[in-house]
Amino acid sequence: MTRSAAHRTAAMSVMGGALILLALLVLPVAALVWRGGAEGVRQLGSDRALQHALVLTAAAATTATLVVVLLGTPLAYLLARNRMPGGSVVAALVELPLIIPHPVAGIALLLVFGRGSPIGAALARGGLGIVGSPLGIGLAMLFVAAPLYVSAAREAIARVEPRYEDVARTLGDTPWRAVRRVTLPLAKRGLFAAAVVMWARSVSEFGAIVILTYNPKVVSVLSYDRFTAFGLDAALPVAAVLVLLALVPLLVLRSLRSDGHVATSAQ
Amino acid sequence: MIALDGVTAHAGDFMLRDVTLSIAAGEWGIVLGPAGAGKTTLLETIAGVRRTSAGRVRLRGQDVTTQAPEARRVGMVYQHGYLFPHLSVEENVAYAADARAHVREVSERLGVEQLFDRPVASLSGGERQIVAVARALAPAPDILLLDEPFAALDPRRRARLRVELQRMHRERGMTVLHVTHDFTEAGTLGDIAVVLEAGRVVQVATPSVLFRKPATAAVADFLGADNVFAGQVTRSAASGISELDTLLFDGEGIRLTGVGSHGGGRGHAVIRGEDVVLARQHSMPSSARNVLEGTVAEVARQGVLARVTVAMGAATLVAVVTDASVRELQLAAGVVVVASVKATAVHVC
Repeated sequence: MTRSAAHRTAAMSVMGGALILLALLVLPVAALVWRGGAEGVRQLGSDRALQHALVLTAAAATTATLVVVLLGTPLAYLLARNRMPGGSVVAALVELPLIIPHPVAGIALLLVFGRGSPIGAALARGGLGIVGSPLGIGLAMLFVAAPLYVSAAREAIARVEPRYEDVARTLGDTPWRAVRRVTLPLAKRGLFAAAVVMWARSVSEFGAIVILTYNPKVVSVLSYDRFTAFGLDAALPVAAVLVLLALVPLLVLRSLRSDGHVATSAQ
Repeated sequence: MIALDGVTAHAGDFMLRDVTLSIAAGEWGIVLGPAGAGKTTLLETIAGVRRTSAGRVRLRGQDVTTQAPEARRVGMVYQHGYLFPHLSVEENVAYAADARAHVREVSERLGVEQLFDRPVASLSGGERQIVAVARALAPAPDILLLDEPFAALDPRRRARLRVELQRMHRERGMTVLHVTHDFTEAGTLGDIAVVLEAGRVVQVATPSVLFRKPATAAVADFLGADNVFAGQVTRSAASGISELDTLLFDGEGIRLTGVGSHGGGRGHAVIRGEDVVLARQHSMPSSARNVLEGTVAEVARQGVLARVTVAMGAATLVAVVTDASVRELQLAAGVVVVASVKATAVHVC
């Protein structure tokens, strides 16, 4: 076999492998949207349960994301700049929920925030019951998706050369003002992308939510509920709507990435 | 006024050790040293960006060792400029300026106004440096720290910026500490020069003293002294009325007589190429205490000057002469010459 023929064979093998993987990833989702997409969009106009589930899902995911952006960005900054005592341990702890099976995450949340726990009981007395409430949905979303935000935000901030902050300090900025005027604007694309990924992950969460709050139903739980109660045909439109909802942030993310990247060095 | 007293500071694995120096108010200090000597760390320590682990930093006579950078009111320009890429050139210059008039004045004087509409990403390295200087000057600091601010500039712009900065320095009475690798810059701008080596100050002197009498062989070598010999130093005769002695140097196959202050023992003899006089034969008796015969090994022409390398046994002596001298003396490889060096031009350290 000549060298060019060997190269052609190797290239075709790589291409073939990529196509097989792509088919495995895309085919089920495409089939779902193909079979249920149109009906799902049609039902959006009439199916009140689906409408409520959609609004609840989007609202809970948005709230969880906003809370994590608010609390997670300072943490990501401290981790990125190595200013957190025991930073590597903290980083590992933050990423822990990523490796826990999500139903197990739901059980863990139930242990801490369930009605039988001191915290859960106290919250319930204050009118902030976690189990069976939208609050529980938001908490489950936050627990499973926050690590994605913190990790990506840490990376985005770490890409911003710390010397920009030093320069801002010599120009009279306090540490916080330097971060606000220089670091955050330079990292904003990365931070926004991190928030979008977290939102998308929150929207598609099922395992932890179903343990903590079966009712009111988010779209993923509604899809499961329709599947167990009425079968595949009833679940399809709801599942397809969920896929379309998750597709929106993915498209936003793609358009962000193709729109250039942040200049993070002096050159 | 900038004063450091026994300052030690860390930058990763690098350490600035026991640095003591003083730049009087209104003076222009130059920091010289090989790459990795700690020049940028020194400026960062003065600006407060690096914390000191020992010693005191005083600015304007006040102890600012524990003060944050923003409280020190020091302008600092990094070598790469570090312009904020999310802001326009104008916004960069105006970043810390109290008054719009300052921004306009500094921008006009440094020729930055014409860059106002350009995105930072489109600026050349030299343009970035000029904008960075303008940004540091716009808040009108009385202390300015410059880390090779002219390194990326073409000669024309470099000269213009140098002249303008000198003017502003005089007008505002600024105290400047300026890192440079350019010895001409050091000679023309500096009132005082500090040489750093491996995180330590090895010499503080006026530029003229520094170039004529480097404290160590390493300093001489770094400053581009043409002839540095290692050997034994013997004190021959003490003058009795000053600190200077007549010193005899013997090393690398060369014996020299010098004048200076040295305790004897191991040492170095430093001779600048410009201080070596070449002749084709022994001339009449002269005041030069060192007359050495050798053979021209190489003549390297550099514009109106030429570096003539003379072999003297195992040693070589470099003389810097004019191109006209090379022609008149017909200096070429293989020609026997006599080199004369005054004892006062032999610096023993």
